[in-house]
Amino acid sequence: MRRQTLILALLYLGAVQSSLYAQDFKVFNRVVQVHGFASQGFLYTDQNNWLTTHSSQGSAAFTDFGANVSMQITDKFRVGVQVYDRNLGDLGEWHPSIDWAFADYRWKSWFGVRGGKVKTVLGLHNNTQDLDFLHTFALLPQSIYPTDLRDATMAHLGGDVYGNISLKHGLGDLSYTGYVGRRRDSSHSGYAYFVMKYGVNNSDLTALQYGGDLRWKTPLRGLLIGASRLNQQLTDTGTVTLAPLGTIPFSAVSKSDWTNQFYGQYAAGRVRLESEYRRFVHDQTVLNGMLTTVSDVRGWYVAGSLRVTKPLEVGSYYSRYSITSVVGGPLSFLAGSLFPQQTDTSLPANHIYDKALTARIDLNRFWNVKVEGHFMDGYGLSSYPMGFYPQVNPQGFKPNTNALVLKTSVNF
Amino acid sequence: MKSHRILPLFAALVMFGSLHARAGDVKIIANPSVRPDSITVTELRSIFLEGQRSLNDGSHVEPVLAKRGPAHDAFLRRYLDKSDSALRNYYRTLVFTGTGLMPKVLASDVEIATYVAATKGAVGYVSDDVQVQGVKVLAILQTGTNAGRRLVTRVEPDYPETLQRLQIGGTVRLSVAISAKGTVDSVQLLGGNPILAVAAIKAVKQWVYAPAPSPTTLEVSISFTPNK
Repeated sequence: MRRQTLILALLYLGAVQSSLYAQDFKVFNRVVQVHGFASQGFLYTDQNNWLTTHSSQGSAAFTDFGANVSMQITDKFRVGVQVYDRNLGDLGEWHPSIDWAFADYRWKSWFGVRGGKVKTVLGLHNNTQDLDFLHTFALLPQSIYPTDLRDATMAHLGGDVYGNISLKHGLGDLSYTGYVGRRRDSSHSGYAYFVMKYGVNNSDLTALQYGGDLRWKTPLRGLLIGASRLNQQLTDTGTVTLAPLGTIPFSAVSKSDWTNQFYGQYAAGRVRLESEYRRFVHDQTVLNGMLTTVSDVRGWYVAGSLRVTKPLEVGSYYSRYSITSVVGGPLSFLAGSLFPQQTDTSLPANHIYDKALTARIDLNRFWNVKVEGHFMDGYGLSSYPMGFYPQVNPQGFKPNTNALVLKTSVNF
Repeated sequence: MKSHRILPLFAALVMFGSLHARAGDVKIIANPSVRPDSITVTELRSIFLEGQRSLNDGSHVEPVLAKRGPAHDAFLRRYLDKSDSALRNYYRTLVFTGTGLMPKVLASDVEIATYVAATKGAVGYVSDDVQVQGVKVLAILQTGTNAGRRLVTRVEPDYPETLQRLQIGGTVRLSVAISAKGTVDSVQLLGGNPILAVAAIKAVKQWVYAPAPSPTTLEVSISFTPNK
């Protein structure tokens, strides 16, 4: 019923575009803007169930929406907040969260600060990965932007410094962001859902994170290149149920998780090409050193899109993900059956190679529809999840999965 | 007899100029509360793309966009280097990541001119052939390979009386070579009505910029608006 209401609301909002244009008003003579978005998708897969949905039977449990309010207080000072909610299979489950909420003071073009809950700048699309209407693809390359694990990188409670610098001698523009803060994963996120399978019930999954991004808009028109770095110190507390011991306190820490990301994008006329590479090393100590796992996650993609006509855009990408895991510590013999050493990335359990084809139709400025096909080799489930979960695949995994994704979204 | 020969030539030049203006020229207009008479392309981009809300002299500024049209297309092409769809996506990215606000968007040149005239700090753009009142037309200084040069002395061009009487206006675009000392070394015509260009070049040759470590070449746009 809730889903049907949302679909009807989406169709209404998309059709009544005149009501969607300018949603601003004044409070105390200051401009206040209200914006929102919503999307509804449908997933069908021929083999494994994907993204915690029962997609092999066809699933429309693929919905999200958000709304924000922003106000320019002075020429340099602005505040705003955005609420976000989603339901993706067994994730999200209609638990709304504050997506971002911060105050921003921009002193000069080359220096500003913002504090509060801030979206984390990491690569080309991390901070916009929920915003379907911005992207050609219904699902961004999952090797870099896994939608089930969005909480791991999406935002931090802390502060950013940022700015743009125009380089002399016609050398283009540099944009920088530096940040420090804490992230807190929802108990309805992919990682919490994954470890639940092994009896772990997270009560608090939080991390100190700090890092930065530097991007260069080069003198070659349309070419952008950049690099991002993210360091995380993760603390995971809760309980674990082990057959011989019953339910006992659980804790896991990782002091040296890091992510490096490098990217480039070229846009000229109707064509856009981009590529990104990410390496994520997750070094975790569980139950006070009784178990250690080091996961080395690597992903990259190459994507291209072409605006064929004003309403029609087509695109394709090749996305490649691989993971290796090394397990150690006194309890490794026990954990070995659950998380065996994984060093051979040619095994389907340790990789996902995804070829995607998409067509996007813009029905008007505010409403689009996408049809997308995915052809995946591997399911990449090692000590760290990536789209395929045992809970919705109790029969075990097949090596290949083809998927059809239909998605529509509106924004105002 | 002589005047009979000159008149068709003059009319042709005038026609060429006004047609050229209609083919997609754009002028940048601002509310009179914006103190400078000229801004650089970099400043214009900062106002429209980076959420800059004040100029170096403290003047409050806020951008006004057109929904569509030839002036909109020319403005995007010449100053922002973005397509309309790329610009919309850019603003949506700002709005939905909390890093900026959506500018005011209006449907026509007349609406923009009226809004800019009535709104403190508003900066917008209209087709070159649109007559505007109650706003100032900003000269746009193209930052070249060196940093933008601050204009110290500006001499306004004399509006040719015949063209003013015939209500013919337009924007003249010039490439201006400035010495390190700040004097104008040479001026080259890039586009615009040739008769207006003569007046514009004569004025610009008298401009003086602040000294800089090296010579600079800037693109300067000068708008002629009848009834101003």
